[in-house]
Amino acid sequence: MSKINFKIVTPEKVIYENDQIEQVTAPTTTGEITILPNHTPLVTILNPGELIFKQGEETHNFAVAGGFLEMKENNQLVILADNAEHVDQIDIDRAQQAREKAVAQMSEIKNREDVDYARMQAIIDRESNRIRLGNKYRKLPKSE
Amino acid sequence: MGVNTKAIKRRIKSVSSTKKITKAMELVAASKMRKAVDTALKTRTYAKLAWDILVDLSKTQKSEIPLLKMRRVKKVLLILITSNRGLCGSFNSNIIKKTAIQMQNPQNLSRQRVAGKDLVTEGKLEVDVLGLGRKGADFAKKMGYNLIASFTDMSDTPGLADVLPICKMAIDGYTNKTYDKVVVAYTDFKSAIAQTPKLRQVLPISEHDLEKMVEKFADHDLKTGKAIIESEKINDYLFEPSRDQVLEIILPRLVESQILQSALESAASEHSSRMMAMRSASDAAVEMIDELNLNFNKARQAAITQEIAEIAGGAAALN
Repeated sequence: MSKINFKIVTPEKVIYENDQIEQVTAPTTTGEITILPNHTPLVTILNPGELIFKQGEETHNFAVAGGFLEMKENNQLVILADNAEHVDQIDIDRAQQAREKAVAQMSEIKNREDVDYARMQAIIDRESNRIRLGNKYRKLPKSE
Repeated sequence: MGVNTKAIKRRIKSVSSTKKITKAMELVAASKMRKAVDTALKTRTYAKLAWDILVDLSKTQKSEIPLLKMRRVKKVLLILITSNRGLCGSFNSNIIKKTAIQMQNPQNLSRQRVAGKDLVTEGKLEVDVLGLGRKGADFAKKMGYNLIASFTDMSDTPGLADVLPICKMAIDGYTNKTYDKVVVAYTDFKSAIAQTPKLRQVLPISEHDLEKMVEKFADHDLKTGKAIIESEKINDYLFEPSRDQVLEIILPRLVESQILQSALESAASEHSSRMMAMRSASDAAVEMIDELNLNFNKARQAAITQEIAEIAGGAAALN
């Protein structure tokens, strides 16, 4: 069976690379999609959310802060993310603080131009996503 | 032992303590350079992939995205990337010289490079300067350029968060037609001993300049050329939700990654030219110490010889 050659890249560095991935689930702006090997070429925009990909029995979960996804021919899949991190690496406290700061700033600048507003909203979404995923996977080891 | 030897000794001491400082600065700059080069290489992957997508997109049809549109140039935003601190050889003066030459030559600066035809502006060209790094901002102030902002709190290896405000200014300025062109003046890092000052057009996104940038990746990643040719075959890309929306998301990010890349190249160049400057300073100090040591020994020997001669002369006088 063919596998997906999978890559997560941010402007700052390559976060993850693996050519033995069997399926990828990504949060796009038009809803969550799952990509299997031999998918047709596709370019789509990502929302902040959870990125899940599987290698055999192993499942990897990443928090992604938006960006885009490109599926090329030959099972090349690239995620160009603004930011991405493994769920285990999420610092919930920091995300919480960042979110509060952004919310506070947003209420201040509400009257200003909408570009700022959109950027602040993006930050809030990103941090909310971090908090949500961080909490979701933090509980797993405890319940065992 | 006269006054002479004492003075030489003092100089030897002061030169060797200077040497210690320059040696330390050299080592620090070397490690910072390694880090900056490393990060610069890492960012190239993103820029290359984003560019690949853009190439794939442009195969289908030309579109009316504001960031791709070219206009006659009346006002230019120049982002001047320099260092905050001195003691880095000719790093700052090189990029400043290059910028000054371009500022005197508005025809060249205002030209829109399109394959085949060039859009040339008549009349006066206005240039706003955005200084990234204190040295460049100081220079712009001194020369009376229109300095609109200066960012002087960059870290040694700038991250995306450091350059985002600059990118936002550039992109906003271009979309609301304040600027008709955005140019970055930065220092291209070729190797630890060779850096060249360069100007690169960021907006409107021109294939000419981007291709030059991608060519640089070629040494790093041989597949680039092939990838572009291969992708020409496929026209059946799916775009979700739509092609234009995808472009709207990609283009600003491409600009961001380009500006980040320039900042990182400049950082790498700064540290490496500081390293080289400090190395030659250390070498010069070693040479100077050698010479001073020789002089010191000569003076000491002269003093001894003179003393013996005096004693011998005194003894001869007694007999």
